[in-house]
Amino acid sequence: MIGMNMTQLQTILAQKNLDNNRQVWSDRMVQVGPEDVRRQLSIPPGKYSLQRLLILLSPAAEDFLEEMAQQASQLTIQRFGRTIQMYAPLYVSNVCINSCLYCGYNRHTIFKRTRLSIEEALADAEVIAAEGFRHLLLVSGEDRRFVTTAYLAELAERLRPQFSSLSAEIFPMTQEEYQTLFEAGIDGVTLYQETYDRQAYAHYHPAGPKSNYDWRLEAPDRFGSAGMRRIGLGVLLGLTDWRLETLALAEHAAYLMKRYWRSQVSFSFPRLRPAQGVPSDWPFLVSDRNLVQMMLALRLCFADAGIVMSTRERPSLRDHLVDLCITSISAGSKTNPGGYTGHHHTGEQFEVADSRSPDEIAQLIRSKGKDPVWKDWDAAFVKTAVDS
Amino acid sequence: MSALVIADRQFQSRLFVGTGKFASASVMAEALRAAGTEMVTVALRRVDIRNPADDMLAAIDRSRYQLLPNTSGARDAAEAVRLARLARAASGIHWIKLEVTPDPYYLLPDGTETLMAAETLVREGFTVLPYIHADPVLAKRLQEVGCAAVMPLASPIGSNQGLRTRDCISIILEQASVPVVVDAGLGAPSHAAEAMEMGVDAVLVNTAIATASDPVRMAAAFRQAVEAGRSAYEAGLPPRSTAAQASSPLTGFLRDV
Amino acid sequence: MSWTLKINGMLQSFEPSPELSTLGDLLEHLQIEQTAVVAEVDGQIVLRQDFDKTPLRDGQSIELIRFVGGG
Repeated sequence: MIGMNMTQLQTILAQKNLDNNRQVWSDRMVQVGPEDVRRQLSIPPGKYSLQRLLILLSPAAEDFLEEMAQQASQLTIQRFGRTIQMYAPLYVSNVCINSCLYCGYNRHTIFKRTRLSIEEALADAEVIAAEGFRHLLLVSGEDRRFVTTAYLAELAERLRPQFSSLSAEIFPMTQEEYQTLFEAGIDGVTLYQETYDRQAYAHYHPAGPKSNYDWRLEAPDRFGSAGMRRIGLGVLLGLTDWRLETLALAEHAAYLMKRYWRSQVSFSFPRLRPAQGVPSDWPFLVSDRNLVQMMLALRLCFADAGIVMSTRERPSLRDHLVDLCITSISAGSKTNPGGYTGHHHTGEQFEVADSRSPDEIAQLIRSKGKDPVWKDWDAAFVKTAVDS
Repeated sequence: MSALVIADRQFQSRLFVGTGKFASASVMAEALRAAGTEMVTVALRRVDIRNPADDMLAAIDRSRYQLLPNTSGARDAAEAVRLARLARAASGIHWIKLEVTPDPYYLLPDGTETLMAAETLVREGFTVLPYIHADPVLAKRLQEVGCAAVMPLASPIGSNQGLRTRDCISIILEQASVPVVVDAGLGAPSHAAEAMEMGVDAVLVNTAIATASDPVRMAAAFRQAVEAGRSAYEAGLPPRSTAAQASSPLTGFLRDV
Repeated sequence: MSWTLKINGMLQSFEPSPELSTLGDLLEHLQIEQTAVVAEVDGQIVLRQDFDKTPLRDGQSIELIRFVGGG
């Protein structure tokens, strides 16, 4: 694999066969029986072990989804209250120099590319704020020439007065760069490893900066060290076996939770969906059933992790997920830069499946006996820079 | 059973014993033997000028037991650091059980002073084992500054009340990246067994052994309890059932998917 | 000429002489086994190997400390 100086995280994944040679886990999964599942479900939920997660993710556990759902739902209410956080994404650029096989932003796909100037981004943000959102997620393709640290920092500073919480879902940066963003007011970063399997990773990310697996893997450590209060993780469901990916994802999360114990880790569930230029017959597709099992299994192992649902998923599914274990949801999302003001007719990263308005989503949440929370973190009173 | 590793040392026994409160040095020596322990705590005090020959250290076989000096008596970080340096100068040992207990009634530890002293002592090359209330955040901060273990109390020193702090110890265990040694308040072998069954890495017992009617037998009992508890933990305890309160079905929508 | 030393918190008057001029001499005079003891003179730790090289002086504050049983 790699050389002598492996980091602690690399060592964990390698030694546990989670980044390679994962057949051993597939074998163990099929050996799990109903008694094993019942045993796990009789333990008070919320504590993680790889063994526990394996059992809850197994084919045998599929017969216990209702029981898992009941526990997960109760646990989520216990830890998070009857509330769901509202957030909105703001795409600032769909220029991307990577060539990821699955993505609509792939550099080889021809479509109109847009970068938003600071003013244009602020205009989109106005629309988002007017809808009631106070939590904003800045998103960009790998466009370092335009979306520089300075750009993001300036944007963040100008957005701070209107938004109580800013996160970023952007290409991996150095710790110093994350530090700059933190000081500018961004206090959460989301980064999906896409796949933890090294061979699959190399296959799907053949070129560009994103082809560097380790640089990406170690990014949460860098932004955790820079003081980011929220750490968002995820895998792209559909690239390889979702059960094995969840094991690796959980190990990554557990490692980060121990190390960056002042920060909160969240899971997102990007699932391969149709997009311009991406083929529709794709192996390893994840069904709704699988998606639900994954979310429940993670909740039953991580009582305090955020579970995030985007508008990639269709309305009927999102409606049911609100009853289960999610803690954070987006609404009215536009995944094309300038999509909120409607001034640009440019390419989306993925097709939004749930185009209901934020008000409709808020209404849905209330109808489920929960409270949609637009703002619950005020950075204004809190020191942003990490104590040296 | 698996060995315990703290810093650069390995221990086969997960029972550490304190050497205070024994009726005599010879009873203490026998009790330590019966406990099968590998590390014992000692304190520092002024020599009694009028009775200078009283030296209990001679009764501790240092080829058998590793000494773990403590800073008992310290009321703040400065005093604890001073005692630690004295202990190292006296013994050549750089391990220290950091104890800062300004309150003379309950002998509860001062977390703020403990953290300050820990930072200083780790910097000076000590292997620091801090004694604390079962405060999970404090435990994380002490690990962050480089302590080799954390020692949360089960209940106040000498109270023999057992695992009053079990829920917080459970959180500490979940979040720990160093061994967790439960210290103080373990009054009976069953308490020690319970701590070990939870997954605690080791326990430290003093009062319950030293003040028993038969300290030697009590030490043996604690030895058995710690071994039993640890074995049970490693064997995988069967779950206790929790009643789940079902509400209306949540996954019906998946039935036909 | 009489000196006053504070030893373990107690003031003691003290007649220095060639046989009683170092810390090592003091310990011997008090019949304290050197191996078991660590000393602090005016707040500074003095290691055992330096006991015989540490001169006594008027007004010193000396702490003599040893290990005892403890939890």
